[in-house]
Amino acid sequence: MLRFVVRHFRWLARIPLATQIFDALLLTWTAVFHPKTLRAIEVLETAALRMPGVSPARHRFGGLGFVREGREFAHVHGNGLLDVKLTRDRAAEIVAAGLAEPHHVFGPSAWISFQLRTLDDCESALALLNP
Amino acid sequence: MRAKRLLLGMLAGNSAGGLACLLAFGLGWLAGGHVWVVIYPSLFAIPFTIGVVAAWVWRPLELRIGQVLLHCLSCTLLGLGAAYLVFREGVVCLLMAAPILYLGAIAGALTGRVWFRKASDRLNLCLAPLFLFAVAAEPSLRGTHTGVVTDEIRIAAPPSKVWPHVLAFPEIRDAPKYWLFRIGLPYPLETTNGGDFVGADRACRFSGGAVFKERVAELVPRKLLTFDIVEMPPNPELMGHFDAQRGQFELRDNGDGTTTLIGRTWYSLHVRPAAYYDWWTHDIFSAVHLRVMKHIQRLAESGG
Repeated sequence: MLRFVVRHFRWLARIPLATQIFDALLLTWTAVFHPKTLRAIEVLETAALRMPGVSPARHRFGGLGFVREGREFAHVHGNGLLDVKLTRDRAAEIVAAGLAEPHHVFGPSAWISFQLRTLDDCESALALLNP
Repeated sequence: MRAKRLLLGMLAGNSAGGLACLLAFGLGWLAGGHVWVVIYPSLFAIPFTIGVVAAWVWRPLELRIGQVLLHCLSCTLLGLGAAYLVFREGVVCLLMAAPILYLGAIAGALTGRVWFRKASDRLNLCLAPLFLFAVAAEPSLRGTHTGVVTDEIRIAAPPSKVWPHVLAFPEIRDAPKYWLFRIGLPYPLETTNGGDFVGADRACRFSGGAVFKERVAELVPRKLLTFDIVEMPPNPELMGHFDAQRGQFELRDNGDGTTTLIGRTWYSLHVRPAAYYDWWTHDIFSAVHLRVMKHIQRLAESGG
């Protein structure tokens, strides 16, 4: 659903609160139908915010952002899709190694996407946040 | 202690929402707007405000995301309960508002949860009164949304057999099938007619004693009946949310002994977001149309 909306209804992000409402919908959906994914998001959030210099932020397209030195370097959407910004070369390496996928909107770029599904995915996700 | 703070957050959030509603009421009244618009000044921003304020009170609890979702549900139920008791809202209306209220509260609470964790909270809190004012002022700036709902059915009888039942019909005894009718939304029972001429009074009686008073505005025998809705019943499910302004039945002779009956209702909507409530309004008016039109179909086809 996230991919479809982001591709076809990106203009909705211009409407105040629309992205936050949409992410709330995603989170509710996840809580009801994929509770393990929600638990994984919670664990990832707790662990990420314990990392030195990391603080939370609201991602502008909805989702929980992680900021370091004033810049958002990652965010997790309500469906458990984690997007991380690396260097272009590092992102390509990680995608080539099958550890993550190209970003769900930008494609091959400095951003990568990783789908959290269960608690077992948290370790890999945290590794991406600490490249 | 934890439970107290959770409850306090829900009360504070809903109080802020109520305050924004009252402010909207005052501004709407000053602007000469529709008084009952206060019920949902901004169905995205009010619950968002509720969520942000609740998050402010909840911040020492360091709630996980799942806990925020759960407590926002309680917060929403509390708000809906208050709307039922204080604003005397109808159950069906509250049911329609519930998804947006809940999602808005979550969005606000999650945003607040992030804001109040960061060191730059003060700036955000300074903006809070401005945001509250914007929420309250928004309804006095918006116009009325209007629309028309159209439905049609094919009746196996010529217009001459259909027409008398369009003018007036006896009580529909069938139990309603539409789910909102089953849980309390008034549904049409019968129509009485004060005469077959322009200016004649009509009345459409709904369940629960609700009566829509109508006046014939246009009448072309066996072809067209248009009526203005001059008075809506003071039912909490209907009051202030929309105005049904005009209704129409059009009969088209298909030339093969059948008639296409078209029902139309013109309305203005006072609640927002319009796209969301438009969807509900179309669904409800279609259910009203089809209940009446299928009854007319049965009567016409049975030669009654």
